[in-house]
Amino acid sequence: MSERNDVPLRRLNIHFFKPFGESMRQEVAVARIVLGGWVFLSFGVPLLIFLFGLGDPSGLGASFLTRSRFLGFPLHYWLLAQGCTFGYVILCKLYCDLWDRRLRRPVPVPVNKRRR
Amino acid sequence: MSRLMRLLWTAVLWLGGSGLAQASAGEEIYSILPGFKPVPALIMISLLALYVLVGVFSRVSSTSGYWIAGRGIGKFGNGAAIASDWMSAASFMGVAGLLYLKGWFGLGYIVGWTGGYVLLLALLAAPLRRFGKYTVPEFLGDRFDCHSVRVLGAVITILIALTYATAQFKGIGLICSWIFGMEYSTSVLISAAVVCAYLLLSGMRGVTRNQQIQYVVLISAFMIPLWWLMRQAGGAGVLPQLEYGSLLSGLLDGKVASGTLGGEELAHLRRDYLPWGGGNLYQFIALVFTLMVGTAGLPHILMRFYTVKNEDVARRSVLWGLFFIGLLYWSSPVYATLGRFWNPLGGREVADVIILSAPERAGLGLPFIGYLASGAMAAGLSTVAGLIVAAASAVAHDWYASIFKPNCTDKQALSVGRMVTAILCGVVVLLALNPPALIAQIVAMAFALAGNTLFPVTVLAVWYSGSNKYGALAGMIFGLVATLLAMVGWVAEIPLFADGGLLPATSSALLVCPASFAINILVSNLTRGRLDATSEERMEEVMGKLHQLPEDLTDEVVTT
Repeated sequence: MSERNDVPLRRLNIHFFKPFGESMRQEVAVARIVLGGWVFLSFGVPLLIFLFGLGDPSGLGASFLTRSRFLGFPLHYWLLAQGCTFGYVILCKLYCDLWDRRLRRPVPVPVNKRRR
Repeated sequence: MSRLMRLLWTAVLWLGGSGLAQASAGEEIYSILPGFKPVPALIMISLLALYVLVGVFSRVSSTSGYWIAGRGIGKFGNGAAIASDWMSAASFMGVAGLLYLKGWFGLGYIVGWTGGYVLLLALLAAPLRRFGKYTVPEFLGDRFDCHSVRVLGAVITILIALTYATAQFKGIGLICSWIFGMEYSTSVLISAAVVCAYLLLSGMRGVTRNQQIQYVVLISAFMIPLWWLMRQAGGAGVLPQLEYGSLLSGLLDGKVASGTLGGEELAHLRRDYLPWGGGNLYQFIALVFTLMVGTAGLPHILMRFYTVKNEDVARRSVLWGLFFIGLLYWSSPVYATLGRFWNPLGGREVADVIILSAPERAGLGLPFIGYLASGAMAAGLSTVAGLIVAAASAVAHDWYASIFKPNCTDKQALSVGRMVTAILCGVVVLLALNPPALIAQIVAMAFALAGNTLFPVTVLAVWYSGSNKYGALAGMIFGLVATLLAMVGWVAEIPLFADGGLLPATSSALLVCPASFAINILVSNLTRGRLDATSEERMEEVMGKLHQLPEDLTDEVVTT
């Protein structure tokens, strides 16, 4: 990369929130989708359980989520024990698939020409 | 169990001094005899011999083979290796006990330890592979073009690896003393000799091959008893991971093996299984977040991505690694729930022996107990191996071959690597023989440490070109100091750092990790003008490699 003399070096500005180039833009877009799912599963689900449980005077968080049953489980238990963990595996699968779909096909040169 | 035997058993466990198993647990749940057990011992010895043989046959002669397995590892193989790197003796035996004790709140550990892999995949796995060198400190040192960053990264890697590995040896020693009837210290020495032998002979390639075998042993040993146990609990015994749901629902109504609970006992049980009986929302989120960023910052896991053929395999191997880890974490709650079903109000004594006593209860006989112990042993060995390789590479590669003697030959670097591996094994054994009092807690803090130091600096190194060496140093030092402070404050029982406080030592990352990000960014921006041109050029070269930028940057780049 030494022959980049025509480009002012200090202007290389890589930023997760300001991606440039088709390939990096796609990579960040895929990462954002997956991280969105991650935030929902990791923090959204516990928050929902908390919000629904606010009505429980004992403070233990009993709600319709703890009373309803899913596959035989109390729903609040299933959501974390299997819902979230299985969700993470699916998010990883989604990441790999989205990557294949968006970044594997021929992208206009020169941004992607060095791939493999 | 006679009184004498119980006394003996207590003595063995006391010598172990571990949180994994404590003293006599009540005959009906725990009745494994002390002393030498020929059949389990034979099974364990053959498996150990197999590990060493695999190590010998995958012997390597180059440094890249030693540290990163010559990059020949595929997605299933690397996935299994990630999983067995990850699954320690503690998570093999401890997570079910944790879930038994803490009920719903304990699920935070499962969520935290699986969710971290999503972070790792989305932010770090592929760029780290594209960087294409050996270790995490090396990545940081090259990216920031600074030896201080490299050394600090290496120091943190060693700190994490040593504490974590010490705890593994305690588990391994315990299992050996259980099977061979040896004293704790003898079994630590013998198991250390095994780890050392195959680490030295083979380096990462042997470790990786072994980890694949070890994964199969540990996951099958973990899952097989469940079918028998489920049938004994009145289930169909087809898919225990789904069948335990109805048992769990029954628990909330007080239905257990001995009949129906009521009054005080039912209230106790409901408290454990309703969401906030074990802690509040803040504590839950803080725990989950800390374990996640900790997972994504553990050096021996990050190093796994250098061992694969290409970045595509790096991505797929996270997927498979997480799936393989999921198999264990989908099964642990089954043990916990069955434990509650048979013994609804047991304390720590029952929790600690849930896994070890399971085959006994399922009537699977002595050979299977040997197999289960070998599984737990495999879990411990593979984690220790991964950790020691990570720590040894931090010294031999990042300090010796990069800073101390940059012109050394491949052969010299390799022999230093082997020497350091042996020395580190020795240090870990010394620590394991005289374990510091609060080792279990210190291990929990290894996650906080990784999440507060290595995770922020690595993410910014990849995704923010403005981050420079001053910012990296400031962020890492802040994370290190804050983690140690929280640890000291916790030991000194200062309320702020206690379990219910704002900054609990084991869950400190919810506040410290974002602060470490912020400090890194802030200091980097304040010191922007202080870098010289060559240094900046070198940093940009690494950034270009991480993001596969073309050599002739297009107009688009310049205008953005």
